Amino acid sequence: MHMKKFLLPLLVLVACVSTSCDAVRQKKANKDTNEYRYEIECGGNAIQGTYLVKVWSYSRTPSIAENQCRKNAVHGVIFKGYGGGQGCVSQRPMANNPGVETQFEDYFKSFFATGGEFQKYASIVGGTTDVVKVGKEYKVGVLVSVRKDDLRKALEAAGVIRRLNAGF
Amino acid sequence: MFNVECLMFKDMKRYIFSIALALVALVASAQIKKPELMVIPSDNWCIQNGFYTEVENMGMTVKVPNYKQALQESMGLKLAIAKLNDLMAERQFPLQSLEQTIKNLEQRRMEDNLTTSKAGNELAESPLDEVARTAKCDIILELSWEQKNFGPKHSVSYILEARDAYTGKSIGASAGTGAPSFSADVDVLLEEAIVANMDNFNNRLMDHFTEMQEIGREIVIDIKVFANNAAGIDLETEFGDEELVDIIEDWLQKNTVQGRFSRQYSSENVANFTQVRIPVYDERGRAIDANGFAKQLAKFLRKDFNIPVKVMVKGLGRAVLILGEK
Repeated sequence: MHMKKFLLPLLVLVACVSTSCDAVRQKKANKDTNEYRYEIECGGNAIQGTYLVKVWSYSRTPSIAENQCRKNAVHGVIFKGYGGGQGCVSQRPMANNPGVETQFEDYFKSFFATGGEFQKYASIVGGTTDVVKVGKEYKVGVLVSVRKDDLRKALEAAGVIRRLNAGF
Repeated sequence: MFNVECLMFKDMKRYIFSIALALVALVASAQIKKPELMVIPSDNWCIQNGFYTEVENMGMTVKVPNYKQALQESMGLKLAIAKLNDLMAERQFPLQSLEQTIKNLEQRRMEDNLTTSKAGNELAESPLDEVARTAKCDIILELSWEQKNFGPKHSVSYILEARDAYTGKSIGASAGTGAPSFSADVDVLLEEAIVANMDNFNNRLMDHFTEMQEIGREIVIDIKVFANNAAGIDLETEFGDEELVDIIEDWLQKNTVQGRFSRQYSSENVANFTQVRIPVYDERGRAIDANGFAKQLAKFLRKDFNIPVKVMVKGLGRAVLILGEK
């Protein structure tokens, strides 16, 4: 009887701690994205309209959320670009103007929010996760396909980047 | 009272309609003239693949690319042009078709040859008119590729370069060698190379367009003089203390964006001005190109110095003014 009395609050406490831990982890992962603390490289030749990129994200646990990898991939394509080599072609960031991130701060806040629009433009290519231990952290590499043509059109429609035929 | 209100309402409607119409006209005229782009195979590619004709020019044999033969015989070229057109159309920048341009020219030439008046007279066309008709695009995209073999593997090296048709300046290029493959044929590798390189290429085009919108369109102005003209002038004729060529230079200084231009060469008969940055809109907000700008200069010379000027159109980026006669 007494056990039952303690068990319920204990379960509630565990649930709360785990939720708050998830929230802290998510916050940390988002901070890393905003501070460009991830690496992006070409993942190979992609089909028309997409980029295939390998994104390396940092985490205390090797099971970094898929969502964060997709977020980093889209963030990287927009703001970072990536190098080429070995048959891969390097790509400049989609946003040519470095100030665009602060200029459209509100737009990107909702775009990269958990469950935000970024999800539409990236998908994980299954069975391709690499994990490397770096000090106390893990560096997790995931292959992501980014629908860059659709992403560019969305950014053009929002006025974040210019259309090729703008002004004509 | 009702009638007065009704009339006022009608007047208001008329005014609103007129204002809306004016705004639409302003927006429509505020568009910069869109350059026309065309893909052509590079001279190097044409010669390497045997698509050329040999022409005797002042005692020397010159190899001239034969685009018609290349389009008729190379499936790879047709595929590459179709792919490039598809990718550019996706960015709302469809390309001019080289094949269609050649066909149109031939068709027009044939029609002109068969056109006669009832009295049996043929159409009047100077050799210059015929040459002017061939220069149709403003930006030329020069394409070349080559298959490379590494043992059983092969890959494609690819170059796409954009050049301003008038100034000859390179606007941007994308080049690279694709990943080697055992099985894919050269056409598939070429398509892969085009798709992979297109964004970089378009980024450079975008830089060029942005620069044009910020510091004006770059054009070339050639000024020539009719020999023994009735006005009896040349570029060294003095008006007051100044030679005509210096007067023209002063006008360019005032009317170019930030006074940007350079006098490449001048003599009493010819003056070449290059890197002339003209504003994309005139003072009334209308889009202008080399022709519009040259007409402004011609108007100034006619009005202030009574010099007859003939302006010849050479597309968006080059104008020729011939002084002395019309």
